[in-house]
Amino acid sequence: MNATLTIMRKELRDATRSRWLVMYAVAFALIALAFGVVQEQGDVGAQGFNRTTASIINLCILLVPLLALVIGAGSIAGERDRGTMTTLLSQPLTPTELLIGKYLGLTIAAWIAVALGFGAAGMLLALVSPVTDFGHYLLFIVLSGALASAMLSIGMLISVLSDGRAKALAISVLAWFGFVLFYDLAAMGVALSLTSSGESLLVAAVANPVESVRILAILSLEPDLNVLGPLGAYLKTQFGTAGSSMLLSLAVLFWAAVPMTAATFVFRKQDV
Amino acid sequence: MLSAMGVSRQFGKGFMLEPLSFDVEAGEVVAVVGANGAGKTTLIKCLLGLIRFNGQVTVGGVDVSRDGKGARKLIGYLPQNPAFHQDLTVAETVKFYGQLRGATEEDGRSAVEAVGLIEHADKQVGALSGGMKQRLALAVLKLGEPPVQILDEPATGLDVDARKDLRAFILEGRRGGKATLLSTHWLEDVPSTADRVLVLKDGKLDFLGPSSSMANGGAGSRLQLRLNGHTAAAGPVIEAAVSMAKVTQEGEWLTVQCRPEDKGRVLQALAAAGITILDFRLSGQELISRAASVGGEELH
Repeated sequence: MNATLTIMRKELRDATRSRWLVMYAVAFALIALAFGVVQEQGDVGAQGFNRTTASIINLCILLVPLLALVIGAGSIAGERDRGTMTTLLSQPLTPTELLIGKYLGLTIAAWIAVALGFGAAGMLLALVSPVTDFGHYLLFIVLSGALASAMLSIGMLISVLSDGRAKALAISVLAWFGFVLFYDLAAMGVALSLTSSGESLLVAAVANPVESVRILAILSLEPDLNVLGPLGAYLKTQFGTAGSSMLLSLAVLFWAAVPMTAATFVFRKQDV
Repeated sequence: MLSAMGVSRQFGKGFMLEPLSFDVEAGEVVAVVGANGAGKTTLIKCLLGLIRFNGQVTVGGVDVSRDGKGARKLIGYLPQNPAFHQDLTVAETVKFYGQLRGATEEDGRSAVEAVGLIEHADKQVGALSGGMKQRLALAVLKLGEPPVQILDEPATGLDVDARKDLRAFILEGRRGGKATLLSTHWLEDVPSTADRVLVLKDGKLDFLGPSSSMANGGAGSRLQLRLNGHTAAAGPVIEAAVSMAKVTQEGEWLTVQCRPEDKGRVLQALAAAGITILDFRLSGQELISRAASVGGEELH
């Protein structure tokens, strides 16, 4: 446990030093502020935060997975490239402790980047706009963090399976393209064209953490599930709003846990 | 303290480290000598549990395959090319590895001081010279004072003074009761640094014996004898007279591997048993030539 914490602290310190954490936090803050200011000028009063939240969800689910996949993919493969993996694993440290320590450190760093960025922007917007729905905005921050955790887990698996950092980064960008851009066009489209049943749409939604978080964010803003079309109608009938939220949250949790478990299993079997 | 029993490793259909067994006792230095690709680093990775292998390695009684973390706590390892995180300072690096090894900050400071890097404690690792990185690696190796030291080609790239310091470090470890395994091309110092030498050739154990045999110019010197028809009887006669002799038969030739100082006793024993020597060949420079062939030009 001590070894895991030592690795975790080092990852956090590295994230701060390398400035990616600050850069992403600033980027998130600027994006949220820009959307907030635009909404403020167009309208608005009590709907301010909801509108801001709704506006930045789509941008957030583009950026957060990219951040998480890239830093996850670089973690183990980077140590291999630098030659530090041998130095690390020749210490009293198991591969599992190393991997989990890295994951925890990077997850906390990603959560900090999301919370600092969107949190700071939220506070600034609250100064100029009546705050009636800050809770939704906070939930959106939590969902962004959860999405980062799930995508980091996938990034770590990519890193463990890759024999170099460049390869890991290339695969992570492809994965980002697949999860974020291609999936909406292809998987959901295929699911809809093969069968318009609610089950297949639900499977398509939970099979991608980005999709799950997108729907969760929409649910938090608009509890009337009908806005989601056939999928919403199915969710409303089968699970209700609370049940649907629970199901989708479990899907995100699954994506945070399973790739990391697979990564740990593979990493333990690998030669150094 | 460090025990390898039947350790082997196959890499696909290519290179194979064939089963080998040896021990390194507390206060003993064993030098592993071999050409590039002979299997030295593979052997070391097996000992550290960094790669899967057949056989068993125990460190202070702890099985590396079953409790790698526990075993590595007892091992200080100096890699061939020490690599640390470039953005950390010397002090931060030692603190980080100290935390992993359960050493105190004071231990870390003492280790940095012991290797002469205290003035560079705030320097980033990326700004250190090769020799300084080597010393930093030695400081990390010392953290927690592990009873076993494994040094992989520690002399590579070091100047004469640094090599002297390294030799002093190894000898100090021996005096302190540490079991040291040293992989090296650094042949001329093997007799004075190591107690025993293990020669690896193409993944096979070629020789394991006292390093003094290198200083004596042979290693077993190797005698090849053609006898007057008593070849089968000669083996037991020689082994009874010289307990450390190894006798093998190749056709009509008997090969006797023994310490250089035992050659005369072999001949005396045969004469006393009434066995006549018709012809003989002597390979008195056997180990040194083996070592030279695997160790490159540093010997000369």
